[in-house]
Amino acid sequence: MSPVFPMLTVLTMFYYMCLRRRAMTATRGEMMNSHRTIVSNSRTSPLNAEVVQYAKEVVDFSSHYGSENSMSYTMWNLAGVPNVFPSSGDFTQTAVFRTYGTWWDQCPSASLPFKRTPPNFQSQDYVELTFEQQVYPTAVHVLETYHPGAVIRILACSANPYSPSPPAEVRWETLWSERPTKVNASQARQFKPCIKQINFPTNLIRLEINSSLLDYYTELDAVVLHGMKDKPLLSLKTSLIDMNDLDDDDYEDKDGCGMDSLNKKFNSAALREGPNNGYFDKLPYELIQLILNHLTLPDLCRLAQTCKLLNQHCCDPLQYIHLNLQPYWAKVNDTSLEFLQTRCTLVQWLNLSWTGNRGFISVAGFSRFLKGCGSELVRLELSCSHFLNETCLEVISEMCPNLQDLNLSSCDKLPPQAFNHIAKLCSLKRLILYRTKVEIEDYDMIASMIGAKCKKLRTLDLWRCKNITENGIAELASGCPLLEELDLGWCPTLQSSTGCFTKLARQLPNLQKLFLTANRSVCDTDIEELASNCTRLRQLDILGKDAMYKFLLNSIS
Amino acid sequence: MFSVLSYGRLVARAVLGGLSQTDPRAGGGGGGGGGDYGLVTAGCGFGKDFRKGLLKKGACYGDDACFVARHRASVLSLGVADGVGGWRDYGVDPSQFSGTLMRTCERLVKEGRFVPSNPIGILTTSYCELLQNKEPLLGSSTACIVVLDRSSHRLHTANLGDSGFLVVRGGEVVHRSDEQQHYFNTPFQLSIAPPEAEGVVLSDSPDAADSTSFDVQLGDIILTATDGLFDNMPDYMILQELKKLKNSNYESIQQTARSIAEQAHELAYDPNYMSPFAQFACDNGLNVRGGKPDDITVLLSIVAEYTD
Repeated sequence: MSPVFPMLTVLTMFYYMCLRRRAMTATRGEMMNSHRTIVSNSRTSPLNAEVVQYAKEVVDFSSHYGSENSMSYTMWNLAGVPNVFPSSGDFTQTAVFRTYGTWWDQCPSASLPFKRTPPNFQSQDYVELTFEQQVYPTAVHVLETYHPGAVIRILACSANPYSPSPPAEVRWETLWSERPTKVNASQARQFKPCIKQINFPTNLIRLEINSSLLDYYTELDAVVLHGMKDKPLLSLKTSLIDMNDLDDDDYEDKDGCGMDSLNKKFNSAALREGPNNGYFDKLPYELIQLILNHLTLPDLCRLAQTCKLLNQHCCDPLQYIHLNLQPYWAKVNDTSLEFLQTRCTLVQWLNLSWTGNRGFISVAGFSRFLKGCGSELVRLELSCSHFLNETCLEVISEMCPNLQDLNLSSCDKLPPQAFNHIAKLCSLKRLILYRTKVEIEDYDMIASMIGAKCKKLRTLDLWRCKNITENGIAELASGCPLLEELDLGWCPTLQSSTGCFTKLARQLPNLQKLFLTANRSVCDTDIEELASNCTRLRQLDILGKDAMYKFLLNSIS
Repeated sequence: MFSVLSYGRLVARAVLGGLSQTDPRAGGGGGGGGGDYGLVTAGCGFGKDFRKGLLKKGACYGDDACFVARHRASVLSLGVADGVGGWRDYGVDPSQFSGTLMRTCERLVKEGRFVPSNPIGILTTSYCELLQNKEPLLGSSTACIVVLDRSSHRLHTANLGDSGFLVVRGGEVVHRSDEQQHYFNTPFQLSIAPPEAEGVVLSDSPDAADSTSFDVQLGDIILTATDGLFDNMPDYMILQELKKLKNSNYESIQQTARSIAEQAHELAYDPNYMSPFAQFACDNGLNVRGGKPDDITVLLSIVAEYTD
């Protein structure tokens, strides 16, 4: 009897300690709620709990693979708890972007890059997610389920999209960024980059993507935000200067030092007459211009403040023939546009994609800029510019008579009637309306109009055009013999039995790219016709390995 | 000795029978009298082939599949799908189609992408989503979807094929679905065929589904099942089992669902029993007796007060 009691006591104590330890750590079988609080058992104050959240909502993105009304492969799958992770593979419940690899850069319609794009800006797509609670982020995990490695930058915003009053200041801070790197496995992984600490709470996270090194579509399942509700105690980390900051420190000067203040400075100072710029005075004007061509935009603006000669060079409108403001989307606002306006009177290529959201650019500011600088405009990129409305399109059509290239992809806030203004642009050679609300009921009619009026058409993208039939294809094939590129992916109403693909093959000998993605009716005859008639074909998307082998065999023989 | 044997048989049956339970507690939110209705649902089933494994991804029994889902606190939905086994001969796993169909319906309901009074819409949207797979999903299946609108107390149903539902009130069947067949043993079915077989394979549009709507009362029993049940157990036997249901506890519903499924499973392998399937065959000139071995899926629900 007596030895039992101490043994019992020891056992009970042991059991109690084990139970306590189990209760502290989370178990694997725990159900994943969208939101849970873990009390950290470190020595920090028990009130400073770490909050773990899945995304509440996807509020903005640049592209996705799925159809707008679908649940399959669309960006909205990124919100909420993961559907698929940790399984690997192709699943419809994941978020997938529109492109991968370099296919689209190698096709005939690939557009040339803007000059002066900073080498550290490689983002091709983005997605913005909101979370329920604002926290000081300690970690951002991305659950990738197929071909990981596309995320190259993570940013946090100071604005709370759910607060009823508009924020006083909207700031974007880069939490992490890296050059695109190839990940050799295609298996699922939980991506846990080391993010830097910031001094404001956030519930709006943005991921930027580069898919150029991927072998196939990347698929994302969920994003997890770890953070503290209260500002963490100052750690040594925050006092270190982050080298990345210097790169990201885009021209605050641009907003601050306007031309007026500079002019005042130069007038008031007692400057000696005559040039005193050393060797710069001996160099011909064009050579200095050539040197300045290599500077990025922020550096150009900073250089303008150094001396009168360089100011003259840097403000020369010839430096601003190409103006790419997309890398600076987080900072470009009405004031920036106003500041640049005097220098950009000769601008021909203007990239305002991704800019101006959350109140940064107003319709008035944009209109004013175009009125000053639009007359020579040839190419205008306005992808994901959600500040655009009908008035803006009207201004574009009035102020840019020479416009040849207009990109309005993902401008889904534009009402359908706004597109009528584009009709006034008579020199248009390239028009992108991906994911816009332009109203098209009958694609066959569109195709027959294109066949009738656009005889010199080279590229046509009809991806996911739900109701185009063999009639439309016939009109296209006969009306546009110069077609080099045709995307008919996910057009379920196209049936090979009608002979439409054979017609395409016979009447479009210049085809270099043909996408018949997911069309299950393509048959052997079509493949043989394509192989024998379209000798320039370099990109072909058809379903099934067998079909591809047949094509290759037929092309060789 | 005898009791040991029978006990052993019971244990063996339980272990080998592919028993699986679903636990979709259909309650939530504050309750009160005269308010919203809820469903307490339990499911049970048996795959035709024991060797396929006991538990297959939760809600699949052989080539059958089912789902139970709710949207916020306003709508409950459940459904069954019977994968057509003939695909196996062509190298296609029939359970993939039915399983994915039901899982997609579940997602649709959870995310609210449907109109409660239009359950055919759920089928149509789900079928369209199935077509969005980059890897073509091949196969076919029947489907039966039941949607309860909690506040209006109305039940909306859609049925394509030979699965179906029964609504039992006061020991009698008050509503039932109609079987849709093209010819003997060939029900209406949603299908996705390989490209070369597109004209040849039977493929019905989701619009061909039968749809009904009616009011339900507290205490109504809704039984949704695939033809594995209805082909082996006539109505009176099902009603007999349902009489044993004492209350709307989840445990008793689970018990009843299991007993119904078990009984159907037993009868299916009885060579002398005149099952409804055999009866129908005889009526059509085929002289057969016995049950019909098939996958059996049973979802049993009781309309109860919405409590939690």
